[in-house]
Amino acid sequence: MDQKAASLRMMKWKKILPLTLMALPGVLYLLINNYMPMFGLVIAFKDVNFAKGILASDWIGFKNFFYLFKTQDAYIITRNTLLYNGAFIVLTTVSAIGVAILLNEVKNQIVKRFYQSIILLPFLVSMVIVSYLVYAFLSTETGLLNKVVFPKLGISEISWYIEAKYWPYILTIIHVWKNIGFSCVIYLASIIGIDQEYYEAATLDGASKWQQIRSITIPFIMPVIVMLSLISIGRIFYSDFGLFYQVPMNSGTISSTTNVIDTYVYRGLLQLGDIGMSSAAGLYQSLVGLVLVVLTNYVIRKINKENALF
Amino acid sequence: MKRIGKLMFVLLALILVISACGGNSGKNGSNTDSVSSSGNQATGSEVPKNDSKEKITNLNVLIFGDGNTVKDLPIIQDAVNAHIKDLINVKVNMTIISPGDYVQKTNLLLSGNEQVDLMIVSPFFGYYSQVARGQLQPLDELIDQHGPDIKSVLGEDYLNTSRVNGKIYGVVPMKDMASGAGLTMRKDLVDKYGIDVTKIKSLEDMTAVFKVIKENEPGIIPLISGATGASMLYFNKWYDDLGDGLGVLPNFDNGMKVVNLFETTEYAEQLKLMREWYNKGYIGKDAATTKEVHLDVVKAGRAFSYFGPTKVGKVEQESNSTGRPMVGAEYLAPASTTSSVLSFMWAVPLNAKTPEKSMKLLNLMYKDKDLINLLSWGVEGTHYVKISDNVINYPEGITAANNPYAMGTKWQFGNSFSAYTLNGSDPDIFKKLEEFNKSAIKSKALGFSFDNSQVKTEIAAVTNVMNTYKNALEAGLLDPADKLPEYISKLKEAGIDKIIEEKQKQLDEWVKFN
Repeated sequence: MDQKAASLRMMKWKKILPLTLMALPGVLYLLINNYMPMFGLVIAFKDVNFAKGILASDWIGFKNFFYLFKTQDAYIITRNTLLYNGAFIVLTTVSAIGVAILLNEVKNQIVKRFYQSIILLPFLVSMVIVSYLVYAFLSTETGLLNKVVFPKLGISEISWYIEAKYWPYILTIIHVWKNIGFSCVIYLASIIGIDQEYYEAATLDGASKWQQIRSITIPFIMPVIVMLSLISIGRIFYSDFGLFYQVPMNSGTISSTTNVIDTYVYRGLLQLGDIGMSSAAGLYQSLVGLVLVVLTNYVIRKINKENALF
Repeated sequence: MKRIGKLMFVLLALILVISACGGNSGKNGSNTDSVSSSGNQATGSEVPKNDSKEKITNLNVLIFGDGNTVKDLPIIQDAVNAHIKDLINVKVNMTIISPGDYVQKTNLLLSGNEQVDLMIVSPFFGYYSQVARGQLQPLDELIDQHGPDIKSVLGEDYLNTSRVNGKIYGVVPMKDMASGAGLTMRKDLVDKYGIDVTKIKSLEDMTAVFKVIKENEPGIIPLISGATGASMLYFNKWYDDLGDGLGVLPNFDNGMKVVNLFETTEYAEQLKLMREWYNKGYIGKDAATTKEVHLDVVKAGRAFSYFGPTKVGKVEQESNSTGRPMVGAEYLAPASTTSSVLSFMWAVPLNAKTPEKSMKLLNLMYKDKDLINLLSWGVEGTHYVKISDNVINYPEGITAANNPYAMGTKWQFGNSFSAYTLNGSDPDIFKKLEEFNKSAIKSKALGFSFDNSQVKTEIAAVTNVMNTYKNALEAGLLDPADKLPEYISKLKEAGIDKIIEEKQKQLDEWVKFN
């Protein structure tokens, strides 16, 4: 009996060991890169003085956090960050799934690859280059819209870089254009993974394309959608810095619609270089991000336990 | 079973080794940190050991300038090392950092325990924050012990200017210590339309000039910003900016009363003028967002003029840069303020291993004419030839364009007034500069430095408000009639009054002791 139990335990070990070994480098990487620096969080509560060293610097409580809430800017940047990222998540997901389904229907392999590459291309372009592409369209002195398109349509010149109201649309379009390709690839992969037999059965039963999509494709890729959305929601307080800083050409006048937490912190601290305030902002972002992930996951659990991440 | 046991053992050992390595590297970092910070106090007593002439000391020196134009820096470094070895027994390793990268690169070097023994610092690059964060060493004692020539060349006044909380943290090189404001224009167009530049004595006088250019030269923008990223009125310093421009001293005196620049009637008037210029098309429409360098825009023939600081030899220098003859009109007389004096300084960072050697090297830059010329012009025979005592020329085959050591920032090398002058340029330039420094208006608050550590929160908030409004208002993009009051109220909300109050308090205190 004893021997049997021992050999059973051995069997278990045999199974677990290779997996543990495989996970080891990743776990170590996480520990060193993601957990050890967490001690640095104390910086957010200190008036860092290099002569004294980080640990010996004076504790100043929450003083480093005050500047975030000093003006109504805190409201504006939090609102902008949340609304933009919320819109980005919804629009990118919907359009990426749409495109993935369409791509899946393209039967000619060469054409399919071509479309896929074209759609993925913007994702590989650096934001700085994107910002100048946009500038080529919008510039007041030399822009395509102001100098070529608008005169033909009889519309008068628009100073894009000082009019805040256009930027929610401009930034959303750019974001979707740039990121659709990447999400699309992931969704396409999971759509291809769906067993063709379901579709064959559905066709036999006389289901239309639309019904097939609604009742087969979407339910099957739901876990992927939920996972990708959860990951995005966890980062909802972090915004694409390049998009919000480079593309509006750092024009301060339009900051009411282009300023997000990242750019606010960057602009404010560029001149001051105070690492205490930067870590405070970072901590604030991660905390709110954590709360949002837990909340979203909780809601998903309530609706459908299978789909929840944890 | 045994084999698996062995494997487990090996694995365990591996984990231990790896985690030990990780742990150690972390600890090592903090160890050296505490060593270097406590070492600074200790080094004073260790001086004899270093002076024993046995071991040569390595010094890492950061200089300021464009690395692309000084490809021969390693050659100069070798020559410098050969020259100073017998004098102070050190070996320098010079790194040149370009203006665009300077803040980020030096911040990285200073925050991450790299050994830096001597470097250029500047209030534009966060000098005061570096002092507040304890990244620079106080230099008073070092100068007393090892810097006699620094003292005699600079004099007490310029040395004292850099004091923060009573201690010197930076030593200024001999350079232009004052700056006025002027408009630099293309000479060909000035001559073509018979513009009398001597008549330009104020901003208002320029309206007529721009009008002529706008009407007769389509495709040429009459006025562009004088520095990438800087606002249009950045150089328009009719006040002492008292360090950061948040709370200023109008006309360099104002009975020592600090005021909010943006609330002054003068500022409102200037904004109105800018708006008028913008509406009439005198200012480029992209002024607030463009990232083009103004000199390049003029070079390409797309602009007529720009604002800038004025000093001796400036117009000549810019004519070279733009490849077009330029002419300047000064409308604000040169004034000396703490900011203009301290624009660039030498400092010894906390990470310096041997501060007294750093100081000895710095002192040599104020004493040794050969060293100064080596750093400024390169090696005699290779990079320049002497044609008289103080005048040099390029050797055959070398021109201004292909010079492998074209150090553009010569003023940083200590007593730069004792450098040679190039044949063809003004041989009396340094005398004129000295005269210029002496004759400039001296701000009543010259020497006052603002310690902003009490109002850091407010400064971060105010800076954000300024980023939103300042550039656009000063380039005339926004109508000051409704946007200026909005700007002012946002500034107040962000706490500019508290900054001004704090500044006033410190200034009153300073006045008592000076």
